Amino acid sequence: MILHVNHVRPGHAKLAGDVVATLLSLLEDGRVQSGILQNLDVHLDWIQYKTNFREPIIVRKAVRNDEVLPMIEIAIDLRQIGETNLRESLAEVLKTVDGDRVALEPFGPMRNSVVWSFNKLYWQYLPDWERVSGKGYEKALPGGTSDGHNPVAIKDSANKFWTLLKDMDSKGQLPPEIFVMEIGVGTAERALRWMNDFKEQDREHGTQYYPRIRFLVADYSIATLNRATERLGPHGELCSFLALDALNPFKSLSFLRYKMLYIHLTNVYDNLPTDEIAVRDGKYYFVQVRSYLHQSEVQKICEKFGVPPSDFNRTVTRLLEVGPVHFSEVDQGMAFWQAVWAALHLEERLVAVDSLMEAPLPPGMRPSHVEEFVGDAADLRFHLSSGAVESFSNTIPLLHPRGFLEVQDIFVAKVSDYLQGFRGPGKLDGSILNWVNGAMLAEIGRQAGYDVHFAPFRYREKSNTSILYTTQREQ
Amino acid sequence: MNLPILPTSVVGSYSMPSWLERLKTEYIMRKISRHDLDEIHDTAVKAAIKDQEMADVDIITDGEMRRDNLIDYFAERLPGTQIDHTSKKFYYDFYESVVTGKIPTASLGLVDDFKFLRANTSRETKFCITGPHSLVKRIRNEYYKTEEDFALDIARVMNMELKELVRAGARHIQIDEPYYSGFPQDLPFGVRLLNTLVDGVDAHIGVHICYGNRYGRPSWAGNYQYLFPAILEAHVQQLTLEFAWRGGEDLELFKEFPGKLEVGVGVIDVKSDSVESPEIVAERIRHALKFLPPERTAVLPDCGLLRLRQPVALGKLKAMVQGAKIVRKELQG
Ligand SMILES: C[S@@+](CC[C@H](N)C(=O)[O-])C[C@H]1O[C@@H](n2cnc3c(N)ncnc32)[C@H](O)[C@@H]1O
Repeated sequence: MILHVNHVRPGHAKLAGDVVATLLSLLEDGRVQSGILQNLDVHLDWIQYKTNFREPIIVRKAVRNDEVLPMIEIAIDLRQIGETNLRESLAEVLKTVDGDRVALEPFGPMRNSVVWSFNKLYWQYLPDWERVSGKGYEKALPGGTSDGHNPVAIKDSANKFWTLLKDMDSKGQLPPEIFVMEIGVGTAERALRWMNDFKEQDREHGTQYYPRIRFLVADYSIATLNRATERLGPHGELCSFLALDALNPFKSLSFLRYKMLYIHLTNVYDNLPTDEIAVRDGKYYFVQVRSYLHQSEVQKICEKFGVPPSDFNRTVTRLLEVGPVHFSEVDQGMAFWQAVWAALHLEERLVAVDSLMEAPLPPGMRPSHVEEFVGDAADLRFHLSSGAVESFSNTIPLLHPRGFLEVQDIFVAKVSDYLQGFRGPGKLDGSILNWVNGAMLAEIGRQAGYDVHFAPFRYREKSNTSILYTTQREQ
Repeated sequence: MNLPILPTSVVGSYSMPSWLERLKTEYIMRKISRHDLDEIHDTAVKAAIKDQEMADVDIITDGEMRRDNLIDYFAERLPGTQIDHTSKKFYYDFYESVVTGKIPTASLGLVDDFKFLRANTSRETKFCITGPHSLVKRIRNEYYKTEEDFALDIARVMNMELKELVRAGARHIQIDEPYYSGFPQDLPFGVRLLNTLVDGVDAHIGVHICYGNRYGRPSWAGNYQYLFPAILEAHVQQLTLEFAWRGGEDLELFKEFPGKLEVGVGVIDVKSDSVESPEIVAERIRHALKFLPPERTAVLPDCGLLRLRQPVALGKLKAMVQGAKIVRKELQG
């Protein structure tokens, strides 16, 4: 057995020690086979948002094609597990029966999991969700506000942009129309403040840049765009509202190639589909997932909503296809959805890949990026951040030679940070929240001609967000 | 060799295969020998020649397959330049390089590469060099009082190299100066540099000026207005400029400032993967002919093709040549 203790929260040291003692005593009592312990890796290093997809102890098996490999991992969330149930829970998971699980899908790459359909549904039906739960989505954030709406940070950003324009202007480089864009606008709070601040700065200096701004306000949720249109009313026709997928802005906007001077996203990369890769003993494994609920939970939900248990999976599928209106009463549909989402867990398995050529890497990422990233680490689990990488690669071709991309999010900025614990996905209301592999983005950016920098978010103490911004690499 | 009207050519580089990028990088990491890399380069050059011949391009190059980027090939050969060979990890990056004393009068040894090209094709050929203005933006100067002194001395040494190329049979030479567009205020001194560089060089000389193609994207914005009228003082025959991705608006400048210069008109967008149709190319040429006489017009891509995948690069060259043929036919009535 190998124990990985890369990250233990303060106060959990004793419990970490108990894990080993408990496993050994289970072995002594014959409740765990010695064969299992030989190939067991125990990980105590998960860092999670409070609400997430995990059970306190999970087992990950490894497969190659369809053959089950001897390697088994268990990951223990010391925060969720107490001393009292450690022994029984460990014995239970190592027996590994999945008879009591109702899977919503077969194992597959995480970015294809139905959890992303839930996520998308959430943004589409945000006004309904907020009405039913009685609070705005921002309230679900730790602290109750989004760092994306910090007034000082927004003002700084608007002023920084104005300074860029001023410099271009002095060199005769300023184009007649100044294109800027925000993707994933949410409440449009930031977009509004940014425009207000920019307008004010422009007025103070009498530079007349504001009327030349063409602000593209983009999101894939029509409900969100409608709200944004109302919010940004004061800026009139300087704003245009676009339904587009953050994964490929270039597809919708190729006519603006090399024309955009500023593109901003806050808390969008963390909300895009992703995959993960694990390196174990120097070998690559692709992490596959399947979402499931416990049989007992399914029973409860079915009883409450009058759904025949044999119809449960079909009802979930219909919910994801047509939304809560599938139920004759929308609020009933909303409640069903919220109950399913709350009970939903992710099971994981590791799929051995002989070569990274077989791994489904996102467009814009080559095996050499991954190899460069992993270096000689023999044991590592990291996000591919497939969606973020795809979005990044399909956004930078829009940038003007002097333009820049600014992304505020929760980034893992260095490979070595992954050695100190893996940050898994969390549930934030009905959406998904995940850490973004900033180090990978930096590598991809470098090879596409951009230096990628991360500035810690200095506007709120203890904030774990940072601001990614690009600068053009040497010409 | 008789060239047709509206002769077609390339700006220099050809599609850089990813396997060659890898091997070049392995060479830098000392995983393969210089000898092996030279053989690999020879093979890649032959393949680049073959593709240009297949596309029926009139004036071809060696595809610049031996070069890591627009600077290092020259920095490594420029006498007296010191290179920090540990300073790059990826072939496409720039080496740290510095000049700490007067540049000695010695050969850069470009003639061998030209001879290899000549030996492997019966077509008209062109040899491209990066000009002194661009080189001084990247090679650190720790000796000359001013950047201009530094650049002029490079021009002096390279002038001899150009003459050697001519002795070896070079008839078309192109000087690449992409940094003009980044430093438009330098243009008057840029023209002085050009004139030193080409003094007494008996060849058809073109200057390529673009807005940059590093990483397949533009490095600068603006328009060609800044070139005029200063550029008309350059003792060269041809200007090759980009008009495909930027649009042909700046062509009007040639109406405002008529001169004797030929214009190599960029009609292929090298920053996009979609292959133009011959008809679009023909349309772009026709547009240029509204401002330029056909006998002073040549047809080229906007810039080098190195960032394009091979099938795309080949497709674009074929379209370019076919487009030129359409317009030639129209001109010949
Ligand atoms: C977490 S919210 C962030 C909103 C706002 N920027 C903030 O910080 O408060 C994510 C936003 O991105 C949008 N979004 C998520 N995935 C998207 C995608 N693939 N394409 C376009 N918009 C997307 C959602 O509709 C939502 O408005």
